[in-house]
Amino acid sequence: MKFNRKRSSAEGHSRLSLRLWDFTGTALLNLFMFLFLIAYLSPLPFMAIASLTPKNQFLDANAPILPSTRMKFNYEGKDLIVYDVPTEDGAKHWALYKPGRKSSQFIDPQNPQAGVITWEGSWRTLKAVYELAPTLDNFREFLGVTKLPLWFKNTILVALISEVGVLFSSIAVAYGFSRFRIPGIKYIFLLLIATIMIPSNITLVPTYYLFSGHMLNWIGTWLPLIVPHFFGSAILIFLLRQNFKSIPRDLDEAAMLDGAGPLRILISIILPQSVPVVTTVALLHFFYIWNETRMSGLYLGVAPNLQMISFGIQRGQSFFFTPEALMVGALVAMAVPVLVLFLSQRFFMQDMIVTQIEK
Amino acid sequence: MAVTYQTRKAVDVKAPKRTRLQQEARIGWLFIAPWVIGFILLKALPILAALVFSLTDFQMLSPETTSFVGLSNYIRFFGDTEAGASLFASLSYFLLTVPLELIVALVLAAIFTSERLRNKGFLRTLIFMTSIIPATSIFFIFLGSLQYADRLIFQPLNLPPLQGFGLLVPFMALWSIGPGFLIMYSAMESVPGEIYEAARVDGAGPFARFFYVTLPMVSPAIFFTLVVNLTGAFGGAVLLDRGYILNFSLSPMEEYINNTMFTQSDLGYASALAWVTFAVMMTLTIFLFRSAKNWVHFPEEHDDNEI
Repeated sequence: MKFNRKRSSAEGHSRLSLRLWDFTGTALLNLFMFLFLIAYLSPLPFMAIASLTPKNQFLDANAPILPSTRMKFNYEGKDLIVYDVPTEDGAKHWALYKPGRKSSQFIDPQNPQAGVITWEGSWRTLKAVYELAPTLDNFREFLGVTKLPLWFKNTILVALISEVGVLFSSIAVAYGFSRFRIPGIKYIFLLLIATIMIPSNITLVPTYYLFSGHMLNWIGTWLPLIVPHFFGSAILIFLLRQNFKSIPRDLDEAAMLDGAGPLRILISIILPQSVPVVTTVALLHFFYIWNETRMSGLYLGVAPNLQMISFGIQRGQSFFFTPEALMVGALVAMAVPVLVLFLSQRFFMQDMIVTQIEK
Repeated sequence: MAVTYQTRKAVDVKAPKRTRLQQEARIGWLFIAPWVIGFILLKALPILAALVFSLTDFQMLSPETTSFVGLSNYIRFFGDTEAGASLFASLSYFLLTVPLELIVALVLAAIFTSERLRNKGFLRTLIFMTSIIPATSIFFIFLGSLQYADRLIFQPLNLPPLQGFGLLVPFMALWSIGPGFLIMYSAMESVPGEIYEAARVDGAGPFARFFYVTLPMVSPAIFFTLVVNLTGAFGGAVLLDRGYILNFSLSPMEEYINNTMFTQSDLGYASALAWVTFAVMMTLTIFLFRSAKNWVHFPEEHDDNEI
């Protein structure tokens, strides 16, 4: 009896300390992750702040970090800048009425009826008072300078058309690679993997030559950006094929015995089980088209009305000069991919991995 | 026994099976035809053309004056100190970013396997998110955050302001860990719990478990991530393409090639340079694959059902 009690108390003690240790560990781990993410993502809030910052605040070395303007006071129809003036009664926020070299005249915004106050000292040493003033001017300016709606429409169109092509052929090819006994298909598949690794720099010039006026004359059209996708994309084929291979063959064998042809099996057996990976692939392609700058720069440079969003915004670098407006551009360019990612995170992220691991 | 033998002989389906296989192969070819055609037209022929270009003094504007110059473009590379320096700079950049990306992703993935971490799904998306931000935005965000870093950290500490794009390199690398992180995280998740349990029973602490259980078990994923990162670094296709920053490349060699290509429109030499880069990359990749035998624990080869 005695022994029992002793043991149970010891057990209780260790359980308590264990729980304490557990709690501390959990708290530390989550805190670490939290701090890491704050540091990791810190450029993003800065970008958001910058996009709301009034013009020229960056040039003002004394200005605070948050979007703000100099506080003004309207006196007799004139906007006077408010300064932080040290006086015998402590610092006062006074509006500068008449600057002078040795002494200046101020108005007290709290009590304008009192009239002009003279302050001895150089007003240039005074610091202006700022008030919080987030502004949407940068967005307005950005929309005015750029052809954002047009670029957006173009990007969506190109994305949709090429999406159809890339999905149709990549699915068909992946199905071919995953289900048919073709002599030497292992080596053909290795060839496909090899094309993933070939730097785009190597094929850039000959492809450009192919699309240029010397051969196809497709420059200034969307064709160079769309047509290649109708032949499938190696990396997407790879993802799809890995997934198709993981689907058990029993079902398609059963369907085959029931007289279903290969196309029928693909449509009614393979695809219904592959909705997540097909969505993943479709999203990857969408991100690719949205972010794409090199092709659109090369082939659409001569056709501004067909230009796409990423290139348009990036080119705008030379047109909308202020850093604040650049931030608006950055925000606009990334908003759609990030939004799409968050909406589709559930299976997008999960499926991207499962398919790749098997090599 | 004899009966079995006889029946087997009686239903010899060899001939029809062969035609069936032939038919299957024909249908298979039909399905992979789009890629095969695309491969020939948009990959194989351009690659061959690039090889031919690299042996000529091809100019885009006047293709008819092209003449064969043999290997002189390649010989020119060996005398071109600027190209050599660019290639060296690119290599050292990859030597920095590829391991940086890998290690940060690996550590994060290890932390994520802990059951103590809350809101994993959301955190995972946040970490992944930075990898899909277009290059267009990254560049501006980087420039903007430099200004804020200057304001908040460097000016108060009386340090000289940050200059140039040196920091963009590690910054971009850190913001590209998404796919690698996901790959390694899911590999870690799929390590059977019994192995950890056995290691724990044998007295292995958390670090010993990580180094002697987790790392070997996920080494195929680490290898895969390395190959993906390397491919991406050298300009191959990547899972998440964020596009290019115009007029500015993270890889000095790429910038040099682009300059030769577009500004000087010396396409023959540019092609030769691209081939040299590719050769270097392939050497590295082959080296990586060779070394894989020593540190990657591939799961036992299961028969890939004839494909």
